[in-house]
Amino acid sequence: MSSMPDRLDLRRQDLAQVYRPQREWIDGRGILIVVAHFFSGIGAGAWLWSTLYDFPLGRVLAFASVMGLSGVAHLAFLGRWDRFWRILRRPHQSWISRGMWAIGVFGLAAGVVLLRVPGSVLPGLATALSLVAACGILLYEGFVYAASRAIPFWRTRLLPALYIAYGLRGGAALLLVAAALGGDGFDVAAVEAIKLWVVVSTAVLVLLYLVAGSRAGGAARESVAQLVAGRVSPSFYGGTVLVGIVVPVALALGRETLGLPELALVGSIGVASLVGDFYVKYCVVKAGVYTPMVGASGV
Amino acid sequence: MRLGMVIDLKRCIGCYGCQVACKAENGTRPGTTWARVVKREWGEYPDVKKLSIPVLCMHCGEPPCVEVCPTGASQKRERDGIVFVEGDVCVGCRACVMACPYGARYYQDDQSDYFGQGENAYEQCVYSAHQKGVVEKCDFCRHRLERGEEPACSANCMCKARIFGDLDDPESDVSRLIREEGGFQLNPELGTDPSVWYLPQER
Repeated sequence: MSSMPDRLDLRRQDLAQVYRPQREWIDGRGILIVVAHFFSGIGAGAWLWSTLYDFPLGRVLAFASVMGLSGVAHLAFLGRWDRFWRILRRPHQSWISRGMWAIGVFGLAAGVVLLRVPGSVLPGLATALSLVAACGILLYEGFVYAASRAIPFWRTRLLPALYIAYGLRGGAALLLVAAALGGDGFDVAAVEAIKLWVVVSTAVLVLLYLVAGSRAGGAARESVAQLVAGRVSPSFYGGTVLVGIVVPVALALGRETLGLPELALVGSIGVASLVGDFYVKYCVVKAGVYTPMVGASGV
Repeated sequence: MRLGMVIDLKRCIGCYGCQVACKAENGTRPGTTWARVVKREWGEYPDVKKLSIPVLCMHCGEPPCVEVCPTGASQKRERDGIVFVEGDVCVGCRACVMACPYGARYYQDDQSDYFGQGENAYEQCVYSAHQKGVVEKCDFCRHRLERGEEPACSANCMCKARIFGDLDDPESDVSRLIREEGGFQLNPELGTDPSVWYLPQER
């Protein structure tokens, strides 16, 4: 009971503000949706890279990330296990529904791939299906947010692009961590080169996203202001920029100077990137504010 | 038929009567206000203006909440355009809360009571009608409409600032007021086509 007045005061304050922050998908149990999207994004990305480079341990980790960690986070967020299946009902209309279908198909197909079910057609079909489903997972997350007509900062096609890029980046990072922890048969050098390119391109994408948001004006500009100079800025600068972009690039470029063992370096780049991947999603979701009903433009 | 409401900002005195009437009628928990009054002030002394804007679910013609719902729990009723949530179908994903520009939707996870001493007899009775872990919102008091009554907020507005009626009927009071007094909707640029209209504070 002690937290009730705080919560009510907060809601009252929010409703009185011109730019009302969204809280349902970030505060309290709402953080679980960010966690779920983080794990399903990096899992789907890792599955694509693992299949490309034929890295069995990577495939196992990718599967565990999507079906285990993300699945548990999704269910814990909903808190209604008995009704979970109902989300599958409207793939023709809802991105959440499409995403759950993608995760479901991925679970079945990837499971068949991992179990090495014998047969002439099944393994190939399952691999193809798992790849399509992994792409679907990468695609749907950004659109879940972009479908929110009330939050202009999210309502742009750049957001799905950002989520796809960060999913691929996070997937590569997960494989680097796996390699550092002793994964055999994995071409670290190949993925590391791709990783560096993806880190740079995601940095550019983040910048583009912020520029587009600030040019959009109104609530989108307010969201950008909260990211770069407001309540979300510590997470943005600390998590997204410093740990997620500066550290991996610095480690990759300064490998000679640092003199770290190769696997430790690779693992560090992977961990820093994963932290950054989480924070970019956290910050984007946290910075979401609603279009004002009244006040900003008057009635 | 498309049911809708006109709120005359000239008449509204910001008494919160609609908010209280809604809470009494629907028995919502603390922090949930399906009908509420937003107040804004602007200008500098001595030239200051204050505006009270009663808001509720806009029962949009193009409801973004229905569009994003993955289960079909959020629906728009064909026969009168009322947007409502089927509690037994909702899974509490809150996508509709994100999609609604009017702050009309509330996720029901807070089971707190008003006085911090456990639910009293009234609260036990009214809260039992609400499910936990689902999203709820104003439904224009569907239960009252079935009885031929208007929504509690408009029935109890002492200034007659809220007028309820059929927007599809050009002869209805709501249609006439919108036409004759320059009615407007909130956030028309979002393309939601609200069924709640406002009459300007000043002519």
